[in-house]
Amino acid sequence: MGRIRDDAHLTTRRELLARAAALGLSGPALAAFLAAFGDAPEIASAASATGGTPKRGGMMVVTGHQEISSLSPDDAGPTVHWTAVTQIHNALLELDENYALLPVLAQSYESAKDGLSHTFKLRQGVKFHNGMDFTADDVKYTYEWYINPANHAINANNFEGVDSVQAVDKYTVRVKMKVPNAAFLAKGATTFIVPAAYHGKIGERGYKVAPVGTGAFKLKEWRPAEHTVVEAFNDHFRGRPYLDFFRVDIVPEPSVRAIGIQTGASDSAIWPLLTEDSLKFAKDTNYTTFRTQTLGVNHFPINNKRPVFQDKRVRQAMMHALNRQRLIDDIFKGTAVLATSNLSPAMKGYYEPSVQQYPYDPAKAKALLEEAGWKPGGDGIREKGGAKLSFTCFAITGDQARRPEAEIAQQDWKAVGIDMKIQEAPVATITEKLHKGEMDASLFNWTYGGSYGDPDPSLTLRSNGGNNWSHFENTRVDSLIDAGLKEIAPAKRKQIYSEIQKIVADEVPFIYLMYWDWYNVFNKRVKGLPKTAFNGPQLYRKANEWWIG
Amino acid sequence: MWRYLATRLLQGVVVVFLVATATFVILHLVPGDPISILVGEASVSQQQVDAIRHLWGLDRPVYEQYAIWLVNMARGDFGASVIRTGVPVTTMLIQAAPVTVMLNVCAFLVSVAIALPVGILAGVRRYSVFDYVGTVGATLGVALPSFWVSLMVIILFAVKLGWLPPFGLGSWKGYVLPVAVLATEQTAVIARLMRGSIAAALGQDYVRTGRAKGLAESVVIVRHAVRNALLPVITVLGYRVAFLLSGTIIVETVFALPGIGRLLTDSVYHLDYQVVQAVALLLAALVVAANIATDLVYAFVDPRIRIR
Repeated sequence: MGRIRDDAHLTTRRELLARAAALGLSGPALAAFLAAFGDAPEIASAASATGGTPKRGGMMVVTGHQEISSLSPDDAGPTVHWTAVTQIHNALLELDENYALLPVLAQSYESAKDGLSHTFKLRQGVKFHNGMDFTADDVKYTYEWYINPANHAINANNFEGVDSVQAVDKYTVRVKMKVPNAAFLAKGATTFIVPAAYHGKIGERGYKVAPVGTGAFKLKEWRPAEHTVVEAFNDHFRGRPYLDFFRVDIVPEPSVRAIGIQTGASDSAIWPLLTEDSLKFAKDTNYTTFRTQTLGVNHFPINNKRPVFQDKRVRQAMMHALNRQRLIDDIFKGTAVLATSNLSPAMKGYYEPSVQQYPYDPAKAKALLEEAGWKPGGDGIREKGGAKLSFTCFAITGDQARRPEAEIAQQDWKAVGIDMKIQEAPVATITEKLHKGEMDASLFNWTYGGSYGDPDPSLTLRSNGGNNWSHFENTRVDSLIDAGLKEIAPAKRKQIYSEIQKIVADEVPFIYLMYWDWYNVFNKRVKGLPKTAFNGPQLYRKANEWWIG
Repeated sequence: MWRYLATRLLQGVVVVFLVATATFVILHLVPGDPISILVGEASVSQQQVDAIRHLWGLDRPVYEQYAIWLVNMARGDFGASVIRTGVPVTTMLIQAAPVTVMLNVCAFLVSVAIALPVGILAGVRRYSVFDYVGTVGATLGVALPSFWVSLMVIILFAVKLGWLPPFGLGSWKGYVLPVAVLATEQTAVIARLMRGSIAAALGQDYVRTGRAKGLAESVVIVRHAVRNALLPVITVLGYRVAFLLSGTIIVETVFALPGIGRLLTDSVYHLDYQVVQAVALLLAALVVAANIATDLVYAFVDPRIRIR
């Protein structure tokens, strides 16, 4: 990711922070992240989001920070894209704002006990915007399109392990798996369905600019860098939406997005505002503000293969030496929560709070370092066998949000005899070098499980994971990850992911700091909003239930 | 004249080619590529990434990519955007250009319309109150960063007064604030220059001669002093074209206008090579053209200069 300024952070559904990392950086924008708070992610102000009798008519305007370069579901990773694409499409199952999977185009679904097949009963009487009926053939076509390597689908991996997709009858689809993959429901089955006949004729290239779905809104006007307008679809299967139009305006500057809300030029900002603006809106009863936590953890990935980081006691000492709450309070104005392991507290169903904790305790940090054989040298930096306890952290070039974090951490570590040097490099350089094991450490946000609401961390915590930034190798974690993907029963999965969190908290493969808060502000005139949300970006899939009061 | 023009054009082509090549080199020195950004954190296997890279020819050696790009360029094919998958860059330029052209033409006209009279008046009435006020205004206009000025005018006119929209191009009103911001610095620069230039001209012998032979003061100023004083101003105007465009980037970002400036910044963030290269090429061509045009106008205004 090259200088990703944009998109990153929280793309919530897919990749949260991956790019976040990148993103974070975006100048002033970035700072944006954030909301505040601490214990329970819930809505802040506003109780009266609902209220009143629904009224039909009007246009709701939301603002995003980067252009919507395509309206194809395969390109809908970035939050702003997704907000438009989700109005136009539906999936068999959809993740709601509380991380629950809801049947939408599916009426019901069932997974075989052995996890080798998933059967979906489809809703009948659903129409696409072009008047065609939605049937099992559309599901089969869509899924097979992603699976076919010739199509180079970005999201092909969401269908990993799928053996075949069968249209059992007009309204029944069975997905057979080669190996059990519990994440299929959260990843594959939440893929938006495109109409087979239309997409087949027009192709993906054509579809990107002229999407046709079953969604509550159909495309009216698309100007990538300016705005995207969708209008109510009268034949939507859940009923015509109250709003006549829903528009996404592209406004790169966070302060201008805040002004947009303030002046009524827009009703909500899908990409966060500057922290101080978010906090201001949260206190103002003229606005409804949702505070949620991000899924990507703000952390220092550290190369576990490097001699300085090989001893677990050193890594634990680094945790104890850091005053993480001070980082949250001083740098992020309290708009983050302490990380306890690899999963965000927003992942309520899987978050495990009972793990080893690392309160700020420099004395304990020193003791752990002594125990590990690192003794203070003449300059105060610890040494062992002639080697200094010293490493270099690469912050992202121009990262105004995280560079100060690194500087404060540097002081905390120095106080216990650990020397961290800080340099800067572009995101792409950082990810590439971390990958190759050519870098000691960096500082960014990334998800270690949680994308799509599924806790599977195979990309980041598995020994051979493509984004195993810290080169963490733990055979127990590897086998737990495999077991988690094979297990269908939610209760058993929870146990598995709890154990992974406990191991991560004990091993400290990377120095985890906090989960940033995420704010979504709505003008009070928008009615019908849900009462709570754990996933801010996912709120916007409910625009079909909102009205202007 | 034609021969001169041909030489200048040829030189211009060389300059544009060098700028485009430098852009190509610099862009490819930046780590990463558009595919890594396109894919983001999606769990995509290396084979898939390689396949997508192959699809876009990004797996070829850089010199090959350069050669292909040169050939395409020579045929007038700017290529396609990776981020807006497959949309021809030409289409993107055509969509974005009207916004930027409109902004800059308006800003140019507004600034010239204000700056020339103000500068002339200040130059003629040097050290008057008008002159001092103009000087302070011009200094502020040059010194204040346009990013800040943009936010301030939004707060004043959109938030406090509610007269104009804070962003976007919903109606012609959307152009007012960005044009005003763009014109501010430009106006300040030209006004300062015009003032100095006219003041210098007023000390010249031909002005004294004009007055001595009994010409009306207005004739002396307009016909003699201004005409001569305009020369350096015109040079700077041509040269300012490049500045105008850089100002456009900030203004388009703050006011959320879908012009060339935004296209450039967006594509740089995404390392969308073809788009960045095309915009750089276009801007280089524009600056070269502006310079040639300035020289031609120069000859027209100053009878002492003859183009051969």
